[in-house]
Amino acid sequence: MKRKILDFPLQHARLVFVGLAVLTIGLGSAIPWIQIDTDPETMLSEDDPARVFHNETKEEFALHDLIVVGIVNESEPEGVFNPESLGRIHELNEQVKSIDGVIARDVLGPSTMDNIEQAGPGTIRFEWLMEEPPKTPEEALAIKEAALRLPMLRGTVVSDDGKSVALYVPIESKDESHRISEEIEAIVAGFPANSDEFYITGLPVAEDTFGVEMFKQMAIAAPLAALVILLLMWWFFRSFSLVLSPMIVAMTTVTITMGALIASGFTVHIMSSMIPIFLMPIAVVDSVHLLSEFVDIYPKHRDRKAAIREVIGHLFAPMLYTSLTSAAGFLSLMLTPIPPVRVFGAFVALGIGLAFVLTILFVPAYIAALPEKRLAALLSSKRDESDGGFVGRVVEAMGAKSLRYAKPILVLTVAIIAISGYGITQININDNPVRWFKPSHKIRVADDVLNRELAGTYMAFLVMKQDVDAEREIVAAGDAALEGAGDDMRSRWETLKAEARTASEAGDTTVVDALIEATSDLSFDTTGEESEQWQGIQTALEEAQTRTKTFQNPEHLAYVERLQREAEALPLVGKTSSIADVVKTVYRELMSGEDKDFRLPATTEGVAQTLLQFQSSHRPNDLWHLVSPDYRESAVWMQLKSGDNQDMVAVKTDVEAFLAENPPPEGLRAEWAGLTYINVVWQDEMVGGMLESLMGAFVIVFLMMMILFRSPVYGVLAMVPLTITIVFTYGLIGLLGKDYDMPVAVLSSLTLGLSVDFAIHFLERARAIQAETGDWKETMALMFQEPGRAITRNAIVIAIGFLPLLGSPLVPYNTVGFLMAAIMAVSSIVTVMLLPAIMTNIQNWLSTKKQRVAESADIAPAPLGTNKEQTT
Amino acid sequence: MRTLTKTWLAALAAAILLSAPTAPVEAGDMKDASEIVNRTNTAQYYAAKDGRALVRMKIVDSKGRSQRRQFAVLRRDKKDGGDQNYLVVFDQPADVRNTAFLVKKHATKDDDRWLYLPGLDLVKRIAASDERTSFVGTHFFYEDISGRHPAEDKHELLETTDTEYVVKSTPKSSKGVEFAHYTLQINKKTFLPSKIEYVNAQGKIYRRIETVKVDTVQGQPTITRLKVSDLESGGYTLSDVSNVQYDLGIPDDIFVEGSLRNPPQKWLR
Repeated sequence: MKRKILDFPLQHARLVFVGLAVLTIGLGSAIPWIQIDTDPETMLSEDDPARVFHNETKEEFALHDLIVVGIVNESEPEGVFNPESLGRIHELNEQVKSIDGVIARDVLGPSTMDNIEQAGPGTIRFEWLMEEPPKTPEEALAIKEAALRLPMLRGTVVSDDGKSVALYVPIESKDESHRISEEIEAIVAGFPANSDEFYITGLPVAEDTFGVEMFKQMAIAAPLAALVILLLMWWFFRSFSLVLSPMIVAMTTVTITMGALIASGFTVHIMSSMIPIFLMPIAVVDSVHLLSEFVDIYPKHRDRKAAIREVIGHLFAPMLYTSLTSAAGFLSLMLTPIPPVRVFGAFVALGIGLAFVLTILFVPAYIAALPEKRLAALLSSKRDESDGGFVGRVVEAMGAKSLRYAKPILVLTVAIIAISGYGITQININDNPVRWFKPSHKIRVADDVLNRELAGTYMAFLVMKQDVDAEREIVAAGDAALEGAGDDMRSRWETLKAEARTASEAGDTTVVDALIEATSDLSFDTTGEESEQWQGIQTALEEAQTRTKTFQNPEHLAYVERLQREAEALPLVGKTSSIADVVKTVYRELMSGEDKDFRLPATTEGVAQTLLQFQSSHRPNDLWHLVSPDYRESAVWMQLKSGDNQDMVAVKTDVEAFLAENPPPEGLRAEWAGLTYINVVWQDEMVGGMLESLMGAFVIVFLMMMILFRSPVYGVLAMVPLTITIVFTYGLIGLLGKDYDMPVAVLSSLTLGLSVDFAIHFLERARAIQAETGDWKETMALMFQEPGRAITRNAIVIAIGFLPLLGSPLVPYNTVGFLMAAIMAVSSIVTVMLLPAIMTNIQNWLSTKKQRVAESADIAPAPLGTNKEQTT
Repeated sequence: MRTLTKTWLAALAAAILLSAPTAPVEAGDMKDASEIVNRTNTAQYYAAKDGRALVRMKIVDSKGRSQRRQFAVLRRDKKDGGDQNYLVVFDQPADVRNTAFLVKKHATKDDDRWLYLPGLDLVKRIAASDERTSFVGTHFFYEDISGRHPAEDKHELLETTDTEYVVKSTPKSSKGVEFAHYTLQINKKTFLPSKIEYVNAQGKIYRRIETVKVDTVQGQPTITRLKVSDLESGGYTLSDVSNVQYDLGIPDDIFVEGSLRNPPQKWLR
């Protein structure tokens, strides 16, 4: 069977080429239909309760994603509060409103906000804060003074120090924010230069811009990595034609996998954009093993087909098993609750399988089809380096040392594990989409400046709601008001209730509104006593409704106020806003305009009438961003200065502790929403999910290793490099203080897959050679020849091949590049140095095992390619 | 002049209560747009000498969530097209009951406006500002209700149909207004507007006021149902007027600050 598979490409090279071309072009043609999705919200499945609630909240309070445009002037004594700067801000505000995709009516800025103030004794006035730009410095300062008096604006639209201004641009859809931010930049670029600085930030811009950059990176970083790998292999193998084959395997694997992903209708998320980068090394690894061995063996045979047969004979089983284990590592990601991670895991696993098949089929066919003179060239140039070249010498020297210093190496390893273990305890689980950009990126710069100037550009919402069934209470009040009424009215009332329910089910209105309207109609349409009775019932309903207006109740507002004070005491919370702030501000201006009246009215009616005044402004609907029209739900806006998940978690923990210690009145319940919070939710699921999937994969790979080697000892040995690599890598992350974020989490599965790869090759070959020589010393010496070289070459190719990722402007790509190099270095060093050291120390165990295996191999062939098979 | 129209209250009452003087059917079509608009102003806001009405407004947002406002209005004209007095007393929702507005609309200077909030036991003057703020959270602006002073715009007769005049009105000053122009469709018989559409700087109609129902009360054509739609947000407000009575002989001396705390029940019921 294996023989047939091995001979197939040699005999049907052309068929293999055509098949691969058809597959690649066929699926690759789906790639132009790519749909990019950088919305971190989609890290949660659509029915995730947190995501559902977040979207309900956005809908309920008409909250839109915001682009924050900050205007800072460091050289003017009054900052931007001079006629020229304010003139530009006004102009920008006007122009921004006409950008497609901007919700013009909700743009927040000095030009679009209302000022409520005293206008002489006993008089109140509502007017635009800045209907027209000021003409004199005095007018500019008057605008500043007015704005600083309004809590809704202070720290948000105008900085606390009164020097900077921000516009908040609500957009219809997050995936438009990069385009809209570019249009805003274009408007700004049209202003003549002066000392005003414009900054654009906000989570939606960061996320959408990341998507655009990510797209570029996929087109630049992955091919660049491929090029570097190609050059390195060329250097190792000295034959361009030969090393072209692993490149073709890698490129077609990536193309087919991405094509399949896009053709199956999945969007390319931040995770799946990394598929090419993950698949590239995995696809190359098998081919490098194959070529490495071919180049060493070919000169002996001088018959390429025979050489290929021998090489594949050696490598088929280890390659199959490394592919299976790597695939298992990635498939374990399917255990996580995060849809994009599941898609990522599934398609990387698919790609690994594909890479294996292509390596087995395409590379032999390719070599078989090469013109003779190409190989002859290889032969002569390779000959001069029968010692394996520089790499070979280093590996050999290292091998000798590792055997001589076996004990110190073991001690050192234990020490490293201990230090790494400490490092792991220091790991900081954190993420922040804005930090996906390098500190010099304009979004990061804007983020720094604006969060220094303003109260915070990261929004989280604490939604408070009353769980009591208001409708039932109000209807009951209507029932009670009917007492003493005649049968006619009673039956009419029952009919009204039934009609109200029907209307409410149809979605036209609520039961209460329908009843109030109906009784109101009846009191209008009837006369005399009946009219009065209906009026009475309507009043009873309305009064009950007043009682259910939770957030017109001063007691509840006072609680919200306390909660806000608590949250604002946290250093990262720049500001909070709630309906209580609106009530207090309007109340102050209604009473005296002085600070002493900046407080809540004493009664529900007082609150309701204060709010009626607010609604007589230019922007009455701003109220509904803070409270629902039935006053039963309210949103406390929290402006955070940092979008770091751990900072959001700190705020949440603190506020929840407050809620627990100070239970809200009458069954009020609090829940979180907002993009900043959503990021925390998926991160939690991700970290938990990753740990689970890593454990699962670890166990599966361990079982596979024991079955594969038919030996628990070899099984344990095979797990050593990957365990140490994972422990070391994550210990390093902890010690360096690098946040454990999304890319770091996902790399654990790659580590597992690639590290075990080297171990399998090493152990399998060691066992085969030992069976031949029967001597461990000799075996180890031989191991540092060809097999050691193959592993080292592989490690170098991949480690260096991914260094170009360090040049990417996107931090997750840098992280992958750096960690990929670290993983390769550590796992290859551990494999080549530590495994021999361990094996030398437990050789008796291994020998007895080995003999047992050898005996059984006489009866049934061992699952791995054995010496016997190789030589036939 | 702009400030004349400030009386959103006036507007309110006017829009609601006033009926046009019955148009002489035999008269030929009018040609002068300004004259038509002046006539409309009187028809809509100055019917009879005085009047009373009960107004219910239903505010519906884009999500279908509704709120309600209900109040009584008393009006007395000093001169058609000139000064008038208004008293508005809220009844619903219950938590704003007895909140009251008093407006003295002046033809030649800023209106005088007072506000009474029973929950705070507070009488307050409201300073003049632009008129295009919301009327108590509805989609109506004060100006829609009090009537924009005809002299604030340039009027152009676009079309005369069998039943209507179509007039385009462009503001003389863009200060304090959010529209570039608006179009009035005016009933030739009653001189009541049947539809007003507001166009923004981008040339888009973003707001519409429609007369849904007109009843004749004591011989005066009276708008009894008016709808204003915010075409950008999708919300609207429906205003229903009932219990309309004209020429009750409402005395001038009830339109004083004292009536805010102690509304003249005799005239309100």
